[in-house]
Amino acid sequence: MREADGLAGREHPVGEMAQQDIERFERVVLPHLDDAYTLARYVLRDEHDAQDVVQDAVLRALRHFAGYREGDARAWLLAIVRNCCHTWQRRHRVDRIGLSLGDEVDAVASDAAGTDAAAIQRSERALLERAVAALPPEFREVIVLREVQDLSYREISDVVGVPIGTVMSRLARARRRLTVALGAGVKEAG
Amino acid sequence: MTMRCADCLPMIDALVDHELPPEEERELRAHIERCVDCARELALVVDVSRAAREGLVRHQAPDVLKARIRAAVSGATGADESAGDEPVARSRRRSYIRLAAAGVLIAAASSALTFAALRHGATESTESELLASHIRSLMPGHLTDVASTNQHQVKPWFNGRLDLSPTVPNLDSLGFPLLGGRLDYVAGRRVAAVVYGRRQHVINVYSWPATSHESPRAAAAQGYNMEEWQAGNIEYWAVSDLNRPELDEFITRFRDVSGR
Repeated sequence: MREADGLAGREHPVGEMAQQDIERFERVVLPHLDDAYTLARYVLRDEHDAQDVVQDAVLRALRHFAGYREGDARAWLLAIVRNCCHTWQRRHRVDRIGLSLGDEVDAVASDAAGTDAAAIQRSERALLERAVAALPPEFREVIVLREVQDLSYREISDVVGVPIGTVMSRLARARRRLTVALGAGVKEAG
Repeated sequence: MTMRCADCLPMIDALVDHELPPEEERELRAHIERCVDCARELALVVDVSRAAREGLVRHQAPDVLKARIRAAVSGATGADESAGDEPVARSRRRSYIRLAAAGVLIAAASSALTFAALRHGATESTESELLASHIRSLMPGHLTDVASTNQHQVKPWFNGRLDLSPTVPNLDSLGFPLLGGRLDYVAGRRVAAVVYGRRQHVINVYSWPATSHESPRAAAAQGYNMEEWQAGNIEYWAVSDLNRPELDEFITRFRDVSGR
């Protein structure tokens, strides 16, 4: 267990929530735990940090569930996860440049014992994961929300809390950077 | 590049993302037909977007995390034992289709275990059934019948459901948080399964009244480890994908704290 920073706390978040609210929360919000975890993994680039933050975020979401009316529950949860990630990073003052994700993928790629095609595909993925991990955080999150979570510009704008125009320009710049990184990687490999 | 093309850049992304209003989309497409630079830009965006969509991993939240969250959420009523009961009953109904897929996995795992357990002869079926039960418990919604991190909610839940009151030591401070309990059916009898977590790993501790005295056993298959011991006429089995030393540590802690 991580040190007692309040994120991993296991105490019941709400003393007395109505059973029907809890059931609704389970029905509407809990199906999106994989998405929540995926976003946290990409933002924090650490699986253990991501687990702690997602647990904290979901319990926060439960506490604030009364404030959720209608709309997309997934985007609503992702916004809370994203905010919890940022709070966590501020508290720990890190945006680690260590890129443990890239290291992991390297290990996987070098284990490649399958066909050449499979090995090439694996190393392309490794390159992609590294390139995404190396993006500045504000670019990385829009790439993940758009390409992995398939959110619309409007939803990304809600999750990140910036105007749609900003989403559009960040996404465009993030993709140009990825294109350059992938192109450079391919040249290196070739 | 003309001023016009510089303006196109984020618009090309919006085009690829189907985010442009029809009128603007028509204009941009008409421009791209005439502009080599923008056509090349469009191709690059399409390529990088496809590469990201196809190549980036969609992670799955670990079962232990899901179980921890479910336990905390269902505990939010302030909760009597029935609180943990109901959500799982619902999720079970949703999960029957997944069970079919699980069956394939279990069949594969069981046959592999056959080899691992052959040297133990007659006990093979118990071990393969335990492994099947463990794998089944990892399917969404199957880990716990009573989801709780509180031993005083988990232990009483078995009252009236089993003849035996299972051992439920609190190992939280030792890095093995309690996730809940489950009623299961192994080797022709109802058994208690008490569920602990270790990082992203799940440990199922099965117990039932011992029918014969045997020396402790251990088996391994498909990356799962299992160990058996007996104490006070109860037979215990711990099953997990934890590595052997950590499973041993867990069992030592379990026995130290519970005195079993």
